[in-house]
Amino acid sequence: MSRRVLILAERSENGITDASYELLEAASRLAGGPDGVSAVLPVGDASEAEGLREVLSAGELLLVEGPALAAPTADGFAAAVLHAREASGAECVLLPHDPVGWDVAPLVAARLSTAAATAVSALSWREDGLVARRSAFLGKFVQEVAAPGLPAVVTVERGAFPAREPGPALSVRILPSPVGPDDLRSRLVEIRDSAAGGVDLTAADVVVAAGRGLGGPENLDIVRELAAALGGVVGASRAVTDAGWLPHELQIGSSGATVSPKLYVACAISGAIQHLVGMRGSRFVVAINKDPDAPIFGAADVGIVGDALEVIPLVTEAVRSSR
Amino acid sequence: MNAVALVKQVPDRNSAFRPAGDWIDESSLGYGINDYDRYAVEAALALKEAGHAAETVAVTAGPADAGQVLRSCLAMGVDRGVHLITDRAHLADPFFVARALADAVSGLDAGVVTAGLLAEDSGHGQVGGLVAGLLRYSFASAATGLHFRDGRLEVHRELEGGRIAVVELRLPAVVAVQTGINTPRYASLRGIMASRRKPVERVELAAPADGGELRRLTLGRPERGASAEILPGSPQEAAAALVPRMRTGAGISFPGDAP
Ligand SMILES: Cc1cc2nc3c(=O)[nH]c(=O)nc-3n(C[C@H](O)[C@H](O)[C@H](O)COP(=O)(O)OP(=O)(O)OC[C@H]3O[C@@H](n4cnc5c(N)ncnc54)[C@H](O)[C@@H]3O)c2cc1C
Ligand SMILES: Nc1ncnc2c1ncn2[C@@H]1O[C@H](COP(=O)(O)O)[C@@H](O)[C@H]1O
Repeated sequence: MSRRVLILAERSENGITDASYELLEAASRLAGGPDGVSAVLPVGDASEAEGLREVLSAGELLLVEGPALAAPTADGFAAAVLHAREASGAECVLLPHDPVGWDVAPLVAARLSTAAATAVSALSWREDGLVARRSAFLGKFVQEVAAPGLPAVVTVERGAFPAREPGPALSVRILPSPVGPDDLRSRLVEIRDSAAGGVDLTAADVVVAAGRGLGGPENLDIVRELAAALGGVVGASRAVTDAGWLPHELQIGSSGATVSPKLYVACAISGAIQHLVGMRGSRFVVAINKDPDAPIFGAADVGIVGDALEVIPLVTEAVRSSR
Repeated sequence: MNAVALVKQVPDRNSAFRPAGDWIDESSLGYGINDYDRYAVEAALALKEAGHAAETVAVTAGPADAGQVLRSCLAMGVDRGVHLITDRAHLADPFFVARALADAVSGLDAGVVTAGLLAEDSGHGQVGGLVAGLLRYSFASAATGLHFRDGRLEVHRELEGGRIAVVELRLPAVVAVQTGINTPRYASLRGIMASRRKPVERVELAAPADGGELRRLTLGRPERGASAEILPGSPQEAAAALVPRMRTGAGISFPGDAP
């Protein structure tokens, strides 16, 4: 079955984002080849897209153009996607599963009177429509869902598909924006860098990371002692820093620090994807978790299934007495 | 105008989940409020305390026992609750849920509607946005800050790579909040006592029409490429076996090691 698929392409300082190339690949597979892929790029002025048609390897590039689209907004981009969806006749719309997609996908879906399939890692057509593989329970399980009908709206997880090689778009169409600046309910004021942290986790050879399963800040000393015995520093999952058990600078993951130490010890951390992306570059990973199904074991070299409050002091002791 | 929080009842995070058919076995699970939604409730309470909302209302769609999460919101200080009663199985389709929530919200004189960024069980990350889309309210996801500045709602959104987008929204607006946006309060004993006298409106939802919904097909454990070697034996034995593996695997020596 071959059907037209639309992706929302995103721009960055260096052209088109990696996430967009992954969407192009996912769309190309779903459409039975790149010719069946349309890519929408919202722009304030079409001249901004100069050069991009040479690299946006889609069947057609749709530039939705107007002052309302000069900066990204949830409702502006949703209007652009819906407009391009109609113009292309696409039966499936792919968006990134990231802060852009979280803003735009549900608004697009609502206007199409449907729900989106989100956090998707694989897609296929079956007799009765589109089937998507997605993550549920914070990555603990994978789920297959049937999209409710066409057009379908999908957000695609980063890294689920290889990035497509840049190449020219076969054709370009410029569509006037269906919305003007006064129609928008949201406005981008600015984009800022968040305050940089003081502790340099990234330089450490050993990181011992504390997770919510430790139960409370009163139990963090055992983690500090293990870190000291290993000559390392303490890091944390977001659940731990959000709860105020440790400062935000120690957070590891997609919205925190990215570390690649020689040794990473995950203590009572479940291993949600947003945590894993921050520590995947570690040379050797140890996980201590009482749940044998915790996703962290899929990212670890060695694991101990057990109560961290009991196991961690034993590991500290074993390290000390091994000298 | 009121501040409305959307709250979902989800299985306790620390339960032993087992896949069963197209979902998990729910026969012996405890339930509580979705973690993200505690932050949504706190944000709504803070808006009222800062004088930007007359009343706070918590809304949930779920089975009869989901009334429990509304009670915990009332105990935190929310003024009243709306319980849209439906089978747990009907929560499978985010569009059905969002339409029911949107209908309820449309009658609540909402200025700001807060939702969680995602539900810990289904993890769609879209119900707040669907409600906004259906009602044509403004929308911002992944909020890590929420303030009124010169009478306008300013939202900080967490982007990737440690950047923050500052956006301004017209009211009414739906904001899907990230954890850490605030520090959710705990219910005080007084709050718990007072919550018993607070009103909860109950509405029975009609079952969703057949077809057209997002359908669950299967649920299973992810297949893992290379999985961890799980160290067997007692905790003492496992700890002892771990140390040499850490040394060789990481290729480092530990403080105090002989050079
Ligand atoms: C946009 C976005 C960005 C995010 N950014 C990040 C980020 O940068 N970093 C990050 O870490 N997360 C991030 N998250 C959150 C992430 O999805 C998870 O919620 C978080 O990582 C969970 O932290 P945790 O593993 O400590 O807690 P939980 O998920 O609660 O896991 C606790 C674990 O401890 C185990 N456990 C419980 N008790 C014990 C015990 N006694 N002994 C041993 N094990 C025990 C449990 O089995 C469980 O596996 C982000 C989420 C979103 C949506
Ligand atoms: N059944 C429900 N009742 C009330 N609010 C809900 C319900 N389902 C989802 N929500 C809200 O929508 C957010 C995102 O949920 P989801 O899109 O399912 O990940 C949750 O954090 C809640 O704020």
